[in-house]
Amino acid sequence: MIEGTLVNLRAPETGDLERNTRWYNDRDVTRFLSVRYEISSTEKGWLRDLPSKPMSYDEVFFAIDTKDGVHIGNVNLSGVVPEDRACTLGITIGEKAYWSRGYGTDAVRTVLRFAFDEMNLNRVQLGVLAYNHRAYAAYKRAGFVEEVRQRQARYAHGAYHDSIVMSVLREEWQP
Amino acid sequence: MIEGTLVNLRAPEMGDLERNTRWINDREVTRFLSVRYELSSAAEEGWLRELASKPMSYERPFFAIATKDDVHIGNVNLFAVVPEDRKCELGIMIGEKAYWSQGYGTDALRTIVRFAFEEMNLNRVQLHVFAYNDRAFAAYRKAGFVEEGRRRQAHYADGAYHDAIVMSVLRDEWQP
Repeated sequence: MIEGTLVNLRAPETGDLERNTRWYNDRDVTRFLSVRYEISSTEKGWLRDLPSKPMSYDEVFFAIDTKDGVHIGNVNLSGVVPEDRACTLGITIGEKAYWSRGYGTDAVRTVLRFAFDEMNLNRVQLGVLAYNHRAYAAYKRAGFVEEVRQRQARYAHGAYHDSIVMSVLREEWQP
Repeated sequence: MIEGTLVNLRAPEMGDLERNTRWINDREVTRFLSVRYELSSAAEEGWLRELASKPMSYERPFFAIATKDDVHIGNVNLFAVVPEDRKCELGIMIGEKAYWSQGYGTDALRTIVRFAFEEMNLNRVQLHVFAYNDRAFAAYRKAGFVEEGRRRQAHYADGAYHDAIVMSVLRDEWQP
């Protein structure tokens, strides 16, 4: 278990499936993600496979628990390139009652510390849709810097939207 | 065959193997690419055979670039096509160094971007260029690409971290 201030990060468990299925089918949640289609809890795929794969350098996936043990979301590192020591971060706070209360920011800070202090990475990148102001503010608070605005990179809700690339580098990161 | 002004784009052929293997092992070429390791001709042959045995399609258009005299000088491709977003990424290599800085790359870019917009009906074509690749950056600008930002320290090579610049061209700003 990786301890943060408000949350702990742990390996995904089979028991998370019901919550994960609910979150990744909730349009209030997925409008900020790259998830587009509905997901069945019985379909073979990444949701079911999560708990059976050992976490490793190539694919880091944590469940986010509050200090009371309430599973509220997930955070992961993917696309790790060992030569570049770079990866991409993704996060979902699926329990909407826990939005805007610092849990996401703390989960991001905690997984960043893991990326830099344990995995020995140099760069952590993420993509955020331009209309996701809440997440953008959380990423800034966690130390991310805006680098790229990909114009019209994402189509959803009948329109094209910009996508922002942000990153934090090891040398500028404040634990 | 897709006709440009200086070049034509055609499907890859097994006869391209010797040149592709030579180019992909030439450090003067690959220092501008994400290619890092040496590639055996057997590995290159396996890759090319797979590529050349499948019909080119929306998922992965890959063209050989030939001059109007039919000299094969490089390759250009579109990948990571997302139909819902109508976007893709572009990669290009001019492997024959004698053809550098003479407009062939720029013309190949213009030709494949026209294909992306006017045949594939895409809305956005994106590419990455390492910050030290001034020649390519200038060619992308000439072909209509706009710098969107800079991914800091995103690429490690030659003993140091280098920035990668993201550029794109959108359908509504593109000038044929």
